[in-house]
Amino acid sequence: MSGGRLYGGASLHDGMSRIGGAYLSRSAQRGAVLRAALLFGCIPLSSCSGVQSALDPAGPEAANVATLFYVMLVGGSLIWIGVVGVLAYASRLGREPHSERMAGWVILLCGAVGPAVILGALLSYAVWLMPNLRPWTSSGEPGLRQIEVTGEQFWWRARYLDPSGAPLFEAANEIVMPVGERVLFTLKSPDVIHSFWIPSLGGKMDAIPGRINAVTLEASKAGLYRGACAEFCGPSHALMAFTVKAVEPAAFEEWLDERAAVDRPSDAEGLAVFLRHGCGACHTIAGTQANGEIGPNLTAVGARETIAAGTLPNTTEAIARFIRNPEEIKPGVHMPAFDMLPDGDVEMIAAYLKGLK
Amino acid sequence: MIIRLKHLVVAVIAIPFLALLIGWSGLIGVGASSGHWAITDWFLHWVMRNSTRTAALSIEAPPLEDSTMLPPAAGHYEMACAMCHGSPVTPRPELVRHMLPVPPDLGPRIPTWTDEQLFQIVQHGVRFTGMPAWPTQKRPDEVWAMVAFLRQLPGMSADRYYELSGLYRPPMEGEVDDLPLSCESCHSARKVGPGSLVPSLAGQSEEYLLESLKAYANNERPSGIMQMAISLLPNDSFPELAHYYATQTRPQDSAAPVDADLVERGRILAQRGRSEDKIPACLSCHEKPGSNPVYPRISGLSQPYLERQLHLFNEGIRGGTEYSHVMREAANYLEDDDIVAAAAYFAQRQE
Repeated sequence: MSGGRLYGGASLHDGMSRIGGAYLSRSAQRGAVLRAALLFGCIPLSSCSGVQSALDPAGPEAANVATLFYVMLVGGSLIWIGVVGVLAYASRLGREPHSERMAGWVILLCGAVGPAVILGALLSYAVWLMPNLRPWTSSGEPGLRQIEVTGEQFWWRARYLDPSGAPLFEAANEIVMPVGERVLFTLKSPDVIHSFWIPSLGGKMDAIPGRINAVTLEASKAGLYRGACAEFCGPSHALMAFTVKAVEPAAFEEWLDERAAVDRPSDAEGLAVFLRHGCGACHTIAGTQANGEIGPNLTAVGARETIAAGTLPNTTEAIARFIRNPEEIKPGVHMPAFDMLPDGDVEMIAAYLKGLK
Repeated sequence: MIIRLKHLVVAVIAIPFLALLIGWSGLIGVGASSGHWAITDWFLHWVMRNSTRTAALSIEAPPLEDSTMLPPAAGHYEMACAMCHGSPVTPRPELVRHMLPVPPDLGPRIPTWTDEQLFQIVQHGVRFTGMPAWPTQKRPDEVWAMVAFLRQLPGMSADRYYELSGLYRPPMEGEVDDLPLSCESCHSARKVGPGSLVPSLAGQSEEYLLESLKAYANNERPSGIMQMAISLLPNDSFPELAHYYATQTRPQDSAAPVDADLVERGRILAQRGRSEDKIPACLSCHEKPGSNPVYPRISGLSQPYLERQLHLFNEGIRGGTEYSHVMREAANYLEDDDIVAAAAYFAQRQE
């Protein structure tokens, strides 16, 4: 996920059509193969930065994960170089057999003592680092900001709570959090096991039906990050992402007030069409009659970076496409297709939703 | 002469050709007038009874005592079955006595079959006899209703048959009457009381009625009874029929006994739904001011009808208008007691 793109799906077709149908000369072919190999080789590098990378940390836990990774990488590389060096020495330089006594020492030092010391050191470091990777918190900790996140097939419900645990409002597929402040995420699931993971901020934690798990995360710099479901949860598991917006504390307070306000300007005609077809049975839009809680909350959906849980860019066309046939975009989705609506109604609803900020 | 292998091989190859030759010659009679040979007749009936008996082994009859099943089945019997099998008010017409095999007078035959065997015959029909299959294979509930009716048929009085089927009695001399059988035979206000499986159409949304008629006509709402009934109507009569029923006033029947707890549970489902089980509030689409007119009005419909439809939606069988899949999803997670509660609430609700 490099280049800061927050949505995952639906661009596959564009890439395919560009590759297909081109005739190339032999040398051009060889060049193309070379370029492809080079590109392919660079793929692992692409995960070193971007909105969803544990190696481009934006929080203390992720920074620790990154440090641990680099320490292990360097340690592993040194061991590898040592082993390959000994191998080269044995096969090329030291052709003469060692004495039995010497061989015994080599086995003892290189086969037992050396590895035990090196692995022991790396393990001790990792164990020492562990508390920093998952700081211990309980939901009773006073003054901690709380966001209750529920993994659903195949989207994320985010309920913002005040420090006492009372719900302020609900949002979906987008988490806004203040920079430099520890936030407690309580994780739930009504259906199957999901796993909540924001690689840029820290480690993952499962959302398990019938349990409430807690994880605290902190963003150390403002920015847009991407979170994902990290436990296979059904056909659209890979299409269950969310955006994380880390903003300055003042901006966060402002956003909270803005979202908590019930009185919102909106396009009355679009709202009427939305309500006419019963969309409000499953979706809530604050300040309107739409109060369903089955599907994602759509208050301010137009302000989100992506729609369909990180699957499509947030454009009127993409919203209309999703309304017409959600199954085509997200296999296994619960929302029925609305391609039977009278002409123009889907467009009106999509424009209305895009306008909700 | 010694029969050698080559004689057998030649015979095996030649016999099918011989059979084809006889078939091609046209010497085999297919006329119904002369009847079967006695042995052919015995063999065909023997195979039919055996086949039905074996097929019925895997079928289990539900309880068939509920008399609400009888009127729709009786109406269908009059419309689709009586023309061959006769009824308590009309004997079999002369013509069917010249069919081969002759469709039997059911009176003496029904007691010779079990409920399951009757189901097998009515659901699947009988090959080579003219007995058709039920118009849809997705509605065993309708076929069981027919079995329940058939059980009552032997010895049924003419009055009872007129009452159940909704067939109009023959007009008096000089009187101009409606068709002997019409929509009103089953859907008239007199017949669709609180215990009826047949819905009242009076005051229903015109758009919903029209789209539902089209859905039956296009085989998009499985129902052997309604698909058969609709097939007898010219398609251009649909708008007029929909308009007729939409402009009737729905009778507000408050005579039905009400279980207050059940109604209260139903009210919560209707107004709030149960979002943790993915059950939306019924009233966010139905009877909401300004809502899509294709979403039907459901208040005041009879409880058995509402329950039956919710079960059909819940099981994914119910088709209907272009919007019916939305309701299938909405009803997907209903439990049996939710269905009873929601039906009880809407049956007593006055819009």
